[in-house]
Amino acid sequence: MRLLLIAGLFLVSACAAPQNVFVLLPNEDGKTGSIEVHNKGGVQVIDQPHHATRVASVDSKPGAPMMLSESEIDKKWNAVLRSTPLPPRTFILYFRWDTDRLTAASEAQLPKIMADIKKYPAAELSIVGHTDRVGTTAWNAGLSLRRAQTIKALLLKAGLRHDLIDVESHGENNPLVPTRDGVPEPRNRRVEATIR
Amino acid sequence: MRMTVCCLAVLACFSSAAFAQDDGVALVKVLEGSAFTIQGGDKQALSVGSAIHREDIVETASGTVGLTFKDGSRISIGPNSRIEFKEFQFTPKENKLAFLIGIIKGTMLYVSGIIAKLTPEAVKIETPVATVVVRGTRFLATVEGD
Repeated sequence: MRLLLIAGLFLVSACAAPQNVFVLLPNEDGKTGSIEVHNKGGVQVIDQPHHATRVASVDSKPGAPMMLSESEIDKKWNAVLRSTPLPPRTFILYFRWDTDRLTAASEAQLPKIMADIKKYPAAELSIVGHTDRVGTTAWNAGLSLRRAQTIKALLLKAGLRHDLIDVESHGENNPLVPTRDGVPEPRNRRVEATIR
Repeated sequence: MRMTVCCLAVLACFSSAAFAQDDGVALVKVLEGSAFTIQGGDKQALSVGSAIHREDIVETASGTVGLTFKDGSRISIGPNSRIEFKEFQFTPKENKLAFLIGIIKGTMLYVSGIIAKLTPEAVKIETPVATVVVRGTRFLATVEGD
């Protein structure tokens, strides 16, 4: 009788065991990062796609990595996977040397940006201006801001709501292609417009 | 005339910056069923376009909700969940970056954004049983809660 009772308790507690699970997924670009799950009991690093760790309590070390099947993941986490917002998308627009005028090729991109914005529910846009390293830091700070504002003005003219847009400028400090000071680099004369 | 236009442009800039400040840390982009924010004792239904602020708690019953943060990080929250927005800073120019949320209970998907790319140790997801540190990644969590 007592044995049965113990067995029964064990079953009940097994059913009620906490199901805290952390599952690493591959990124949307196919690469996989890693997560580190830690508590008072220890640390577990997960760095393989579809591997998971279970954690029973804050005092017990997160369990050894185990692989879950993709179908199990899709079934169990269907609701959250289905509700993932669209990935942000960045357009890079280039400018003529020392001006806030777009290159012809980049000007042709603007309608694409407007079309893409319509695909995003509650779309927001961040516009960040940059320059190359010709000229002083102060001049380039001003130039990168004018570049960002030019794009904002063009998109407002095309019908975008101004409260959806954030404008920032990074001057020459955040180059796409690092160079020495004073070196002209067309790829750094740019605005990055990210829809999210 | 030109002066007026210039002033208006400057004003527009300031007001959009102010708006961005008040606008919180993330916006609701996907909503199925209903979800709520709790701020202090105040509970409000969310809709697509609603802003989430620092120290909000988002709660679902049968619904799910997907959010995108200012740095492009995304989370989606499953049914019967409670998620707390503890800290968020995204000012790369001043190197002020922080992303801290707590899963009190339920299911959640996290997809990293620019903060994780620039400073991976700035991103933490806390739960009652463990803390997750993220290195440029996408992961799922289920937390039982109390």
